[in-house]
Amino acid sequence: MNVSHAPVSSLSAPNEQAERALSALWTRPPGLIGWLCSTNHKDIGRRYIVTAFIFFGLAGLLAAAMRIQLAFPENHFLGPDLYNQFFTVHGTTMMFLFAVPIMEGLGLYFVPLMVGTRNAAFPRLNAFGYYAFLAGGLLLWGGLLVNAGADAGWFAYTPLSGPDYSPGHRVDIWADMITLTEISALAGAVVTLTTVFKQRAPGMSLNRIPLFVWAQVVTSFMIIFAMPAVMLVSGYLAMDRLAHVNTHFFNAAEGGDSLLYQHLFWFFGHPEVYIIFIPATGMVSMIVETFSGRRVFGYPVMVLSLIATAFIGFGLWVHHMFATPIPLLGRSFFSAASMMIAIPSGIQIFCWIITLWTGRPRLRVPLLFVCGFILLFVLGGLTGVMLASVPLDLQMHDTYFVVAHFHYVLIGGAVFPLFGALYYWFPKWTGRMLNESLGKWNFWTLFAGFNLTFFPMHILGLHGMTRRIYTYVAETGWGNLNLLATIGAGIIGVSVLLFVINVAIALGRSAFTDANPWLAPSLEWATGSPPPAYNFYNLPSVSDAEPLWHSPEEKPVVVGLSTEKREVLNTTVIDAVPEHRYELATDSIWPLALAIVVGLTMTFVIFTPWAIPAGMFFSLIVLYAWFWRGNEPKFIVEAAKPKPQISAAQTSLAAQA
Amino acid sequence: MNTAVIDVSKLPAAVEDHTSPIWWGNLFMLFIETTMFALLVGTYFYLRMNFTNWPPVRSDVALYRTDPDLGFATANLLVLIASCVPMFIVDRACLRMDLRTVRLGMTAMVLIGLGTIALRFFEFSGLKFRWDDNAYSAVIWTVLGMHLLHLITGTAENLLMTLWVWLKGLDIRHARDVRVGAAYWYWIAGVWIPLYAIVYFGPRWL
Ligand code: HEM
Ligand SMILES: [Cu+2]
Repeated sequence: MNVSHAPVSSLSAPNEQAERALSALWTRPPGLIGWLCSTNHKDIGRRYIVTAFIFFGLAGLLAAAMRIQLAFPENHFLGPDLYNQFFTVHGTTMMFLFAVPIMEGLGLYFVPLMVGTRNAAFPRLNAFGYYAFLAGGLLLWGGLLVNAGADAGWFAYTPLSGPDYSPGHRVDIWADMITLTEISALAGAVVTLTTVFKQRAPGMSLNRIPLFVWAQVVTSFMIIFAMPAVMLVSGYLAMDRLAHVNTHFFNAAEGGDSLLYQHLFWFFGHPEVYIIFIPATGMVSMIVETFSGRRVFGYPVMVLSLIATAFIGFGLWVHHMFATPIPLLGRSFFSAASMMIAIPSGIQIFCWIITLWTGRPRLRVPLLFVCGFILLFVLGGLTGVMLASVPLDLQMHDTYFVVAHFHYVLIGGAVFPLFGALYYWFPKWTGRMLNESLGKWNFWTLFAGFNLTFFPMHILGLHGMTRRIYTYVAETGWGNLNLLATIGAGIIGVSVLLFVINVAIALGRSAFTDANPWLAPSLEWATGSPPPAYNFYNLPSVSDAEPLWHSPEEKPVVVGLSTEKREVLNTTVIDAVPEHRYELATDSIWPLALAIVVGLTMTFVIFTPWAIPAGMFFSLIVLYAWFWRGNEPKFIVEAAKPKPQISAAQTSLAAQA
Repeated sequence: MNTAVIDVSKLPAAVEDHTSPIWWGNLFMLFIETTMFALLVGTYFYLRMNFTNWPPVRSDVALYRTDPDLGFATANLLVLIASCVPMFIVDRACLRMDLRTVRLGMTAMVLIGLGTIALRFFEFSGLKFRWDDNAYSAVIWTVLGMHLLHLITGTAENLLMTLWVWLKGLDIRHARDVRVGAAYWYWIAGVWIPLYAIVYFGPRWL
């Protein structure tokens, strides 16, 4: 191995002047306006991550409130109405505003770096995606603040969520929030796929793509085929509910069907779990590889497992509906498929273990989280296989056994790898390391708190405690285990706080200069930490799957891209042979403008169907401005101009140099 | 620095064909849209199972055939299919950078687009149900409405490109954009063939 801590010098600028010129070309304009206009994938990815983490904290607060309510029998902390809003907004936030966006945000930040390009494809679409996501989050949480928090569960089953049983606007907010967040997820998926298909570094053929990037590709395909289902079904629901529209998709009296709702929702909902989990496996692969110091065992098998998971993942949705009158043959089929999906996941776990076994593992904090993941995910997977069996599921359906199961897969399977990834990539974002011993405390408190919270729920479920109840009587005997779970939730809270403190301390320190502190093999570590606006001065080329482990300085670099326009290199889809150059769009205010129009449309459509034609009209106007080249409004351009004093100072500095 | 270099300055600065990123972006978007329509068709057949008569009989007019009218619908289908010819001519003209043909062809496409949008509104009145009558009417109105949204966006996109070629002429990037718009239009026309068959012949044959 020939690994250095410094950025790969052949990829960096030859001198300061050249650096400054390219930097000026790719850096967003200064000031707030410039910030709002940014189309840099690193800005956007970071915003997704930070925003989603804030939503994680908020939804965590709701969880804490629910746990306090359930700590004692017949407690009066939350009433039934508030409890309904809290579990619905908690679940909805965790799924749509935390888990999916944070995974996608990590992808948007790292995929362009890992494939060795200067920015993601379709930078403006990318910026729009973030703002649409933010609009969805504001809608849901704004609703909660004005006592219109969604309250029909995170999957909002009809007829409960229909116009007859959920009057008011709580469910409308839920349905329209779905549209906004799914637009965002779809935009991110298109950006990611196009970046990977067309902008890979020369030589990065399909078998040299980092596993994290593969995971993002597979996830993006799943998003493309799954998200339309939930947009459609939430659209039907909104139409059924909206005054003056009042369709009857789910109204049995007019030939509508509530089971249709369930089919469409879970056609999205089950893949959703893998949309959260597959990127996490990508993170695990990167961490395992770096910290065991060897190539991941069975790379082709890993890739095939990802693809198999995605395919099988679309054939499972009916296992959420075993308690409904579906044909027996259907049940058997979906039961078998649900058990089958354990196979590719199991294969991946074996490959990681073999990699660690045959490598020289360094047990740093990221790897610690990965070990926690393997343990907890196996447990969550086991209860999953149990629930895939129809007779068992009929017993457990809607009990706390299910609540325990899905928190094991979601937290064990996604949040643990996520924390590992945050520790792993923090130096890349900030140029600073997180504290190792605080990190260990973070891990052990999360591990202990998590098991204390959710393990007892298996038993509670077996004892018949149903989910979504705001309280229970003492005679049930559920009190002690519930109290235990609440204490555990408190420990989880402490653990997340430790993480936030760790980040705050690190940000308070001055930056270190190592570009590759973990001696990792992939391209995101070939450039500075944090990376310059243009990512690589000379684009890298690749001749193996671990470019930084095999004489990175000797690999040819790409030269000849424009220094006047934001140009990237396009390569062929399979073999990544250089094909042509491509000019990316500049920074722009129009993505934000479009998101505002779409956000307002989805807000007003709660009250009137006329919001749709009006929204279309204004969207088209904004889109015309967006696509008409060189068309930024004057006042924006003025506001985003660098202040003259600063540029004078810069020129005098340059003169000195 | 003695590293070998790969000089890309001689590669084309833009291309017009399917190797362009925008072409791929459009393809992925069409995957999304096609999935959406496939699920809509799934909805149609799922709801079909709840009805003995499809379309349901109208309680207000007994013995009255409620199959949707074919006239405007079929006319619109034919217009859409035929519109692929001028679109294709424009598509080819972009490859030759033939500005005159592109200008005239795109103008024609905008007019045709407006025509299909207008015809679509007549189609709605031939459905014989309001959207809020029952689940059958909900799904057919949604099929027509969703496709109408695509007619509007497709036409708006063509209008934008038409304005550009009349005002600014044609360069390789915009020729590429016109061609991607053409691919979108073929899809809009193509997807309507099965949807038309389902909406208008489903009631007659199912
Ligand atoms: C951080 C610690 C967490 C705690 C203490 C917690 C606690 C809870 C509680 C008490 C409920 C309500 C159970 C009920 O009354 O039925 C719940 C529901 C739920 N949680 Fe969590 N949770 C946590 C994290 C997460 C995460 C990270 C996710 C997803 C990524 C998640 C997803 C959900 C979902 C989808 C529901 C179901 C909501 C519904 O029934 O509609 N939770 N959680
Ligand atoms: Cu599932």
